[in-house]
Amino acid sequence: METSRGTRRLAAVGRAAAALGLFPGQKAADALAYVPDLVTAEAEPEADAQALRALVDWCVRFSPAVAPDPPDGLFLDITGLAHLWGGEAALVADFRRRLARNDLPVVCGVADTPGAAWALARHGDGASLCPPGRQGEVLDHLPPSALRISEPACAQLERLGLRRIGEVRRLPRSQLARRFGLELITRLDQAMGEAPEALAFRRPANPWFDRLALAEPISTPEDLARVCGDIVERLCARLSAEGQGARRFEIAYHRVDGRPQTVEVGLAVGAREAPRITRLFLPRLDQVDPGFGVEQVTLAAFEVEALSASQAALASEQAAGGGIEIAPLVDRLANRLGAERVWTSQAVESHVPERAVARRAPLSPEPPARWDPAQPRPIRLFRRPEPIEATAPVPDDPPVQFRWRGQLHRVRLAEGPERIAEEWWKAPIGAVSATHVRDYYRVEDQAGGRFWIFRAGLYEAGAPARWWLHGLFG
Amino acid sequence: MAGFRSGRLDAVRAKIAALETGGRGDSESLSFGDVSVDRCFPGGGGLPLHRWHELGGEGMEAETAAAPAAFVALLARPLLKMGPAVWIARQDDLHPPGLAGLGFPAGGLIEVWVRDEAQALAAAEDALGASGVGAVIVEAQACDLTAGRRLQLACEKGRATGFLIARRPFGGGAPGIAGGSAAATRWSIASAPSAPAPGRPGLGPPRWRASLERCRGGRPGAWLFESPGAYSDTEIQDDAHPLRLVAELGDRQLAPAQPARPASPPIRFPVGGEDAARRRRA
Repeated sequence: METSRGTRRLAAVGRAAAALGLFPGQKAADALAYVPDLVTAEAEPEADAQALRALVDWCVRFSPAVAPDPPDGLFLDITGLAHLWGGEAALVADFRRRLARNDLPVVCGVADTPGAAWALARHGDGASLCPPGRQGEVLDHLPPSALRISEPACAQLERLGLRRIGEVRRLPRSQLARRFGLELITRLDQAMGEAPEALAFRRPANPWFDRLALAEPISTPEDLARVCGDIVERLCARLSAEGQGARRFEIAYHRVDGRPQTVEVGLAVGAREAPRITRLFLPRLDQVDPGFGVEQVTLAAFEVEALSASQAALASEQAAGGGIEIAPLVDRLANRLGAERVWTSQAVESHVPERAVARRAPLSPEPPARWDPAQPRPIRLFRRPEPIEATAPVPDDPPVQFRWRGQLHRVRLAEGPERIAEEWWKAPIGAVSATHVRDYYRVEDQAGGRFWIFRAGLYEAGAPARWWLHGLFG
Repeated sequence: MAGFRSGRLDAVRAKIAALETGGRGDSESLSFGDVSVDRCFPGGGGLPLHRWHELGGEGMEAETAAAPAAFVALLARPLLKMGPAVWIARQDDLHPPGLAGLGFPAGGLIEVWVRDEAQALAAAEDALGASGVGAVIVEAQACDLTAGRRLQLACEKGRATGFLIARRPFGGGAPGIAGGSAAATRWSIASAPSAPAPGRPGLGPPRWRASLERCRGGRPGAWLFESPGAYSDTEIQDDAHPLRLVAELGDRQLAPAQPARPASPPIRFPVGGEDAARRRRA
């Protein structure tokens, strides 16, 4: 039951309710008047969408290209794979049987185009196969609402007495377009296969995909690990044969109840060594809950790139410069701690110390920017500068002493100032202010501690100068 | 007779050395470029490699660990010829431009940010055991005997050198340096006053007072080191050690209780760089 336009209406009806003559969109009051003991529940579009996503993921067992069609449908691209089941009819039968086992009522249609298949599924007998190239004949007998057009256009066609798609198709196209808008023409062409239609597949078609159907459902950790090794080896053999390596692998364990359990690993450098990738997966397989058993495993590789064959002798030479040898270590750490916790710093051309460092993935190519070693920078930079009480008798001079964390430091030597202003070209000119200037000094106290301190803003008579400690040189 | 005795002594020494290295007998080391430092270490060749070393600081340095970090960066720099370095820490306040200023190639450093102590030590063990790693630097509060032994085994497996910077978390308790430690050496590092060249304003090259508190199969000592190449854009020579011994403070059994200070009275030095002077004139 849902509320639309201020009225409680039925959003969907069960099989028994439909047999009693109830239909979606009926007012709840009317329905309750017909069937006083009607059992109703609030509609949950979020949960429905989630269930549809789960179903789409499950359908990967039939075809890697599955597109959801909200609110209650999905497209399965079975081009070129029906023969694996022994024909389209057998595939549809298997599909229906498996869904029936999960108590999911289903209607489906098979046709050359998504539009025709949609029409057949929703308005045909629920399990029709359209012979190749003959969607015109099949669709001619269906009502215009099978064309996925909007409600008003549909109602108008009805009013004009056009009850069959065949009658619509016989009308001149130019008049149709003028009267009903381009939508009808487009949908008609798409259903006939004369206009292209793009489906938003849940997962873009990926050639680096492998699946392993199991004769018996498995559930022990040892079995899961063994199957993981097998499927990784299969995909890696293909990668190796084509000279490719991948930087991300995702394994999915499809359970008997249709819920896939996925585990993903990432690599710093493209790889195709099966034992190494399996080792990355193994510690994380304990996240997999096999439930009543796993009946199928799929593995997909992403970010596939050309990877030249490496030689053992060359690898040791590369180690000195490229660090390829330590890629397995980086992968282990990144997968254990999280990819955002392992990084390499790179220089950014900015004078603002907080912005001078950017993070990049380890072992990625180093940009040409460099930090200037002649500009002294602290080895520890505090995320936010700490306020200090400084005594600076002469304006524009470093302090003679300062107190930081309750400890007094007498300045013995100082160097500076290095004036660092805000990057005025990055903000509107009105927001630029002289108070955003920092004068940095490198100072050394009597004990030898070296600090990076700055005074915020320009010197103003009367106003006390604000001093901050930003980093330690050590 | 004397020859016989010295021969026997040498044999016993070799036996002890073999016991201490666990019979593996690898004696690769990194020379400091100065005999008076090198001879404190087993074998007399300098800092032993394929081991792990522990460094710490006193007072505020126990929390911030800036001086040990800078010192480690210079110690580990020659090792980077063998592979990149891995720096593991719980706090993310390491500033790579500061490392670059000390001549450390920070562009290839792999930084690992861990959540807790156990993760830090586990990541360090993993990194030390991996092949192709030049040096592993880990900031941790302490390392007990078991964890230390594991690190040592990982060092021998991966032929890497590890540096543990003892650092207690902000506001935490005292760094619990356990009585026994599996570290090859233990150092205490403190910043030392620099000595600028006469007539030049500002700070001189950075200096550190490093005292070797414990050394397996060697003798403790205390020295003053300087990094002559820091914060300059001159090309770094590969063969020279980045640390230069400044003055012989003492090569004795105990570190000096009262570190020697420069005799100069605490006078105010001219402060402000050339820029400030120019602005004052203008």
